[in-house]
Amino acid sequence: MNSNTTRVVAGIAVIVVAVVLLVVLKKDDSSKTTSNTGGKVTTIVIKHGKPVGGIADLTYNKGEQVRFKVDSDVSDEVHMHGYDIMKDVKAGGSVSFDFPATIEGVFEAELEGRKEQILELTVNP
Amino acid sequence: MSFFLPVAHALVARKDLPIPAWLFAWGASIVLIISFFALSAAWRKPRFEGERWRPLGKDLSATLLSTPVQVLCGAIGVFFLGFSIYAGLKGTEAPDRNFALTFLFVTAWLGFPLFSVIFGDVFRPFNPWRAVARVVGGAFTLIAGQPPAHLKYPQRLGRWPAAITLLAVVWLEVVYGASGGVAVGLSPHAAGMAALIYTLYTLVMMTLFGVERWCQTGEVFSVYFGMFSQLGAFGVQDGRLGRRLPLSASTHWATVPGSAAVVIASIASTSFDGAQDGAFKDAIVKTFEWLAETGLSLTTSLRLADTIFMALCFLGVGLVYLIGVRGMATVRGAPPIEKLRTGFAHTLIPIAFAYLVAHYFSLFVFQEQAQFTYLLSDPLGTATTDLFGTASGGINFKLLSANAIWYVQVGALVIGHVVGLTLAHDRATAYWGDYKQAARSQYWMLAVMVAFTCFGLYLLSVGNG
Repeated sequence: MNSNTTRVVAGIAVIVVAVVLLVVLKKDDSSKTTSNTGGKVTTIVIKHGKPVGGIADLTYNKGEQVRFKVDSDVSDEVHMHGYDIMKDVKAGGSVSFDFPATIEGVFEAELEGRKEQILELTVNP
Repeated sequence: MSFFLPVAHALVARKDLPIPAWLFAWGASIVLIISFFALSAAWRKPRFEGERWRPLGKDLSATLLSTPVQVLCGAIGVFFLGFSIYAGLKGTEAPDRNFALTFLFVTAWLGFPLFSVIFGDVFRPFNPWRAVARVVGGAFTLIAGQPPAHLKYPQRLGRWPAAITLLAVVWLEVVYGASGGVAVGLSPHAAGMAALIYTLYTLVMMTLFGVERWCQTGEVFSVYFGMFSQLGAFGVQDGRLGRRLPLSASTHWATVPGSAAVVIASIASTSFDGAQDGAFKDAIVKTFEWLAETGLSLTTSLRLADTIFMALCFLGVGLVYLIGVRGMATVRGAPPIEKLRTGFAHTLIPIAFAYLVAHYFSLFVFQEQAQFTYLLSDPLGTATTDLFGTASGGINFKLLSANAIWYVQVGALVIGHVVGLTLAHDRATAYWGDYKQAARSQYWMLAVMVAFTCFGLYLLSVGNG
């Protein structure tokens, strides 16, 4: 290899290593901050048909028990997609979810009538 | 000021988990190792320029290509197109319960590339527009006593109409559809209307320029699916089915102008779809907020922001390819740059296919379960129809584990990388008489391929929309 081509190849290697490091470091950061598996029940508060504080994030490992509660000021149906669990909630009422995390992936829960996403559920293997 | 951002939710009840950091690192390392290996252990004479064509049995050919079979396939194609338009316009507005969306955007749009690679250009016999136009053309010839006259197709336009329509199809699906204001995604009605408009447009173009000419250049589905069929071993030559060396047909696919744009559009649109909810999300949100503050409506702002980023993807992917081409042109003994630009476009087809597999494999596997159960039995989503007794079926999301999906994704990208490198090296040995210069030119294509593969891995590691 002449010096020119060595430079190109070395350049590629540097870029790849940089990207790998970037992603690995980024991942480590995020894994520290997301942990909702402490056993306490997360409550998603719905005000005017929208989740307060934006779409809630819940992360579990497969096999753990998913628990959350929805307090809503509107009447609708809460649909946990993927797991296909549907529960009605009345205006001013609340509804609780408690099911095992058996399916891996990222799933959303919606207020079905409003097509409003309220939760993103992540189940890691 | 902060705005509520409408979120896409059409067919997908489930998203892939981002690939874990360790797998990303492994994937990228394997890519690098393979690439270095490719530099040293490579062949010196082109191997894929000739097809080594071997016809299949005469009877099999004659049967599969006979008029009754062609009529039957055409009729099936017309039926499914017509039915999708009908379901879209008349069926439920719930995207996941309407036959039209899954059939058009998953079964056909993602299924044909896969089957084209395996079985050859299978879309051609089922192409509903070609079927209709051939019947009309045949009737015209019968009545008028001569075949219809056509305008001369502008040679320089080449496959550009197909490239632009390809971007438009994906735009409709992931930009227009994603910005319905509420989290619904593309409405089945809009999909039905789009299919109807495309049908009219295609029939007009076929009338103007001729059926086969338009299928080769402008009819996006023929061009796009046909592109993937070039990778496979099966094809038709002189009215006979046959086998060829896999990959070999792709080496002369890009001779039509605009072909590079088609494959770049494919890579770019898949990238955008993957990055929309992941890598580009923050940037899109910022652009969206900025646009919304200028007084545009929220839906317009989001569509505009998405459109800008989709265009950037197209320009970015194109730019990386053109840098590679320009780099190769600096190597002694290089052919003219125009020849390089078209001459290496086909080396991106495997990358485009790898991107498709990596981004849509799980969606395809899961959504086809819906296609063949409740969408088949209750195509309009009325909840009262059950044609085949499968209306109560559902999607088994446990069919694929997260690990299985990750390995398929990374495996697809790595294999696409290797095949792309193979084709590029092969083309270089054909263009440069001197092997040393050929190898030197390929450092540039190697950089291009490493860029695309690592970008693909990166998109998967951030999370797939």
